[in-house]
Amino acid sequence: MPPPVTVEILDRMRPNLASLVMERARRLPGMVYCDLRLQVKEEKSAVAENGNAKASGEDYVFDFGVRVIAGARLSAPGYFGRVLGAADTANIEEVVWDGIRQAHQRARTNARLKSQAKGRFSSLGGSLGGTDLAPVAVVQDSVPATYTVDPRGLPLSETVSMAVEGCKAAQGQSGNIAYAAASTSTFLLRELFLSSDGADIDQSFAQTEGFAIVICGSEHGNFEHYDFTGHQRGWEVLTDGYDNGPIMLPNFIDFCSNLGVDAAEVAAAPPLKPPGHDVVVVTNPHFNTLLVHEVVGHPSELDRALKYETAYAGRSWFLKNLEENQLGRQIASPLVSAYSDPLMEGYGSFRYDHEGTPPKRAYIIRDGVLEEFLNNRQTAAVMGVAPNGSARATEASLIPLIRMTNTVFAPGQQDPQDIISEVDSGYYIAGHRTPSIAESRENFRITAVKVYEIKHGQLGQLYRDGGITSDSRDYFMSIDAVGNDLRVNPIPNCGKGQPMQAKRMSNGGPTMRGIARLTGPG
Amino acid sequence: MIPLAKLRAAARDALAYVSAQPGVAEAEVFASANGNLTVRLNYTSHIPSNGVEEPKSLESHGLGLRIAFNSPEGLKIGFGSEPTDLSLEGVRRALGKARLGAVLDPEFVSLPKDPSGSHSVKKGQGNSDPAIMRMGATGMVRTGWRMMDRALDVFQSSEDLLNLVGSPERLAGLGLILGGDLVLLQERMAIVSTHMPRVQSDESTLVMSFATAMVEERAAKGSGWSVGNQLSEFDGDSAAEAARNAIRSMDGVRVPGGAYSVILGPQPLTEILEWVLMPGLQLDMFYAGATPFSGKMDRQVASRQLYLYDDGADPGLAASKAITDEGLPTGRTDLIRNGVLSGLLSNHYNYQRMLRDPHGRDKLGVDPVQALQAIAPRNGFRPGAGGGRDFSSPPSIASTNLVVEGQDGLSHEELLRQVGDGVYIGRIWYTYPVNGINAGDFSGTVVGDSYVIRDGKLAEPIRPNTLRMNDNVLRVINSILGIGDTPQATVRWSSGQVTWAPELAVSDFRLEEISEYVEGL
Repeated sequence: MPPPVTVEILDRMRPNLASLVMERARRLPGMVYCDLRLQVKEEKSAVAENGNAKASGEDYVFDFGVRVIAGARLSAPGYFGRVLGAADTANIEEVVWDGIRQAHQRARTNARLKSQAKGRFSSLGGSLGGTDLAPVAVVQDSVPATYTVDPRGLPLSETVSMAVEGCKAAQGQSGNIAYAAASTSTFLLRELFLSSDGADIDQSFAQTEGFAIVICGSEHGNFEHYDFTGHQRGWEVLTDGYDNGPIMLPNFIDFCSNLGVDAAEVAAAPPLKPPGHDVVVVTNPHFNTLLVHEVVGHPSELDRALKYETAYAGRSWFLKNLEENQLGRQIASPLVSAYSDPLMEGYGSFRYDHEGTPPKRAYIIRDGVLEEFLNNRQTAAVMGVAPNGSARATEASLIPLIRMTNTVFAPGQQDPQDIISEVDSGYYIAGHRTPSIAESRENFRITAVKVYEIKHGQLGQLYRDGGITSDSRDYFMSIDAVGNDLRVNPIPNCGKGQPMQAKRMSNGGPTMRGIARLTGPG
Repeated sequence: MIPLAKLRAAARDALAYVSAQPGVAEAEVFASANGNLTVRLNYTSHIPSNGVEEPKSLESHGLGLRIAFNSPEGLKIGFGSEPTDLSLEGVRRALGKARLGAVLDPEFVSLPKDPSGSHSVKKGQGNSDPAIMRMGATGMVRTGWRMMDRALDVFQSSEDLLNLVGSPERLAGLGLILGGDLVLLQERMAIVSTHMPRVQSDESTLVMSFATAMVEERAAKGSGWSVGNQLSEFDGDSAAEAARNAIRSMDGVRVPGGAYSVILGPQPLTEILEWVLMPGLQLDMFYAGATPFSGKMDRQVASRQLYLYDDGADPGLAASKAITDEGLPTGRTDLIRNGVLSGLLSNHYNYQRMLRDPHGRDKLGVDPVQALQAIAPRNGFRPGAGGGRDFSSPPSIASTNLVVEGQDGLSHEELLRQVGDGVYIGRIWYTYPVNGINAGDFSGTVVGDSYVIRDGKLAEPIRPNTLRMNDNVLRVINSILGIGDTPQATVRWSSGQVTWAPELAVSDFRLEEISEYVEGL
């Protein structure tokens, strides 16, 4: 009988797989580069609906992915991914070698056909070149997970009772809440990264997440409200909450209760009737979490900027081409800075990305000036810059994409209460809901959970179904106040790639004030 | 790919084993093998690129068990799966997980039974192409390059482009782009259960392509796509079509914001339906009160011209299956008929709990017992990421072939005449229900393939990314001017579902002009 799949099984696989990638694969014809990612995740999860348990599970994920760059005249990439099971543990080297061979075959065929196309399309083939990777330090390292309560030792029944109690806590906040659901999960993930350059990296992560949704009735129609909580820690995130610097997460029961209270309050509020002109808006940290994600983080991803995502996830107004772009230009008020930092605490923290690159803080915008894109080794080579460690995949079997990590608006100096009290007439936009962003991120409409009128520096009437819209540059140039209250929140489901990968990361920001147009129903 | 016969045998043996285990009251075994071969394309004439950027594949196979266990408190329901092991050892592991995770769900009644009671055992291979099932490591790369070659041929031979720049050597300076992908899905499944003890199986393939081309210096974007089951039908023309459409839409104009009569092309209609309307036409959303159609079954909810149905059984439609992933018959569910809400997508769990829901009549607007056909579980599927029939997930609700038809289908020319002066919207992006599914409000931007309509004819192209839609889907489906007579199979990002969408004309569609500053950058 094969052994159970646990994170420990990677210990005995690691030496032989390293030799497979670093020695045997290098002997394949035309091989330029090969990397292997292999992961084991041990997870527990539960779902509850209307106060009743609906499902729970304790399972593992075990899979691998290979990238090969190969070719004779021009090099090109090829990939392979496969889901693994306990039955594969006995012959893992054979299974992985088959994947390497297939990826290699694809890369060589791809390289040959690229060479042919380059010759055939004389006027358009000039841009078809070899596949280059910007150099990074070759590292051998092991990084342990951080947690207090080990996800592996947690009884599954505790995930169930937490989901059920969270669900009840949300639903119990109002008789108008017709439906509530909650889910909980906790896992330990271990990733191996091995490359033909000699990289041998072993990283582990603990992660715990909770989700809740309620549907609340009112005379204005049913209002649905949902949110996530979570952190790269053990089960203690949901039992005790987490409070450290800009991360302030309540325990899961309080999180669900707050969600229920908010839903009932907002459902009963009148729908916003927006004035048809620009207004002063003060946006709170939770709203700015989604704003920085959509309008700063995404357009700073260099694969988008270099047009890789033209068909689906979109391009970036930050870069028209290598000569004409916004790098070094003022695209926001001097009060606005934004950065992406995998080395700070958050849902997108790591010591090495999925290309083995040690990351650093990337200042996307500093004092209003566009400074740096998030990149991977391939796009860094195209731009002639150093990789900053932003390549990550959702699973080992999927291809790493350029991703935000912990991407936030930097805090400013002002007390957030002062930012509101200075407003004679305006609106306070609290809590993010749903985004709709223009293709190159040059315009946005983002709805909010709550919109309050501000009159003479005081919050007044609460409205539902409101939000803001603006051209991105206009909005960022209008920012005239940035608070000192940075908050960082988990974003669990950022979609990108084909097939789409839903990735976890952190985003956040402080209270900010600018000018935008309000949106209402319709 | 694991042979179908092996999946069938594994399912049969697993049920025999599981059924004999202590405490097992009901059991269902689902075994599947899936392959997703994807070739992503990225060509840029002005930036170094690979052309074929990501030739890749994802393979998986295994089995999933849904088990109802006897317990002193009543039936407990659990799910467990095991990848890559179809032997009894794999079954034992999956059973252990199902037993460990089983919960007492008061709304669980039973595992799926054929509601008609006269279900014939299915062994389907109708929509399967052996050539796709056999596709090897190099075949997919060649197929991807076929798309690239077709697009570059169009760009290089275009007299319009050549006239713009004067010589072939200067074509690259126009910022020519070809992006998109080719996706080949290989799916095999077998299912057997206590209530349906004869093994049923299905095998299907799908080949989908989606291409986007740009002449970026002239702010022009065009699209092309294709859907089919047979590799021999795939010729890569979607990429050529995208390039042709990009060239055709060069030097587009801005259109001032306002309320326009518009024609929504197949892609925009698909996106609005799938992201904004369809979530509200699922039975689980009625259970939760999360749909704008709560309590409106058999009521007029849309223009009388609108027909909307899902059909997973029509062998002529690309995403058809012989059976659902619950072993139940696929079929046609009329969702909106003559503008009347007529049915909902459902799986077995939601079907049986709605029948017993004390608030079921209020939620639906009719007694659920009187609506058995309208809510029959024809759409219990287990879609994986990007398609497939995933053994590691219990069934959810998913559409198959979603079809839009008009009462009196109009030709393209007739629709244009109907609109007179307005806007043709050929492609949109990021269209979400911004105030929740219940409200029906949506927003998104117009990103290409769009034109001014003047005097009943297509006139100048509209510059991409200059218009934002802000409207409400309930208003849209009640403001239909006409529906085209040629539904086109349309794909969505990362989905194996297909929407057969015609052109659809709507009045008073609200558009907002945006992003003028970008032109000065």
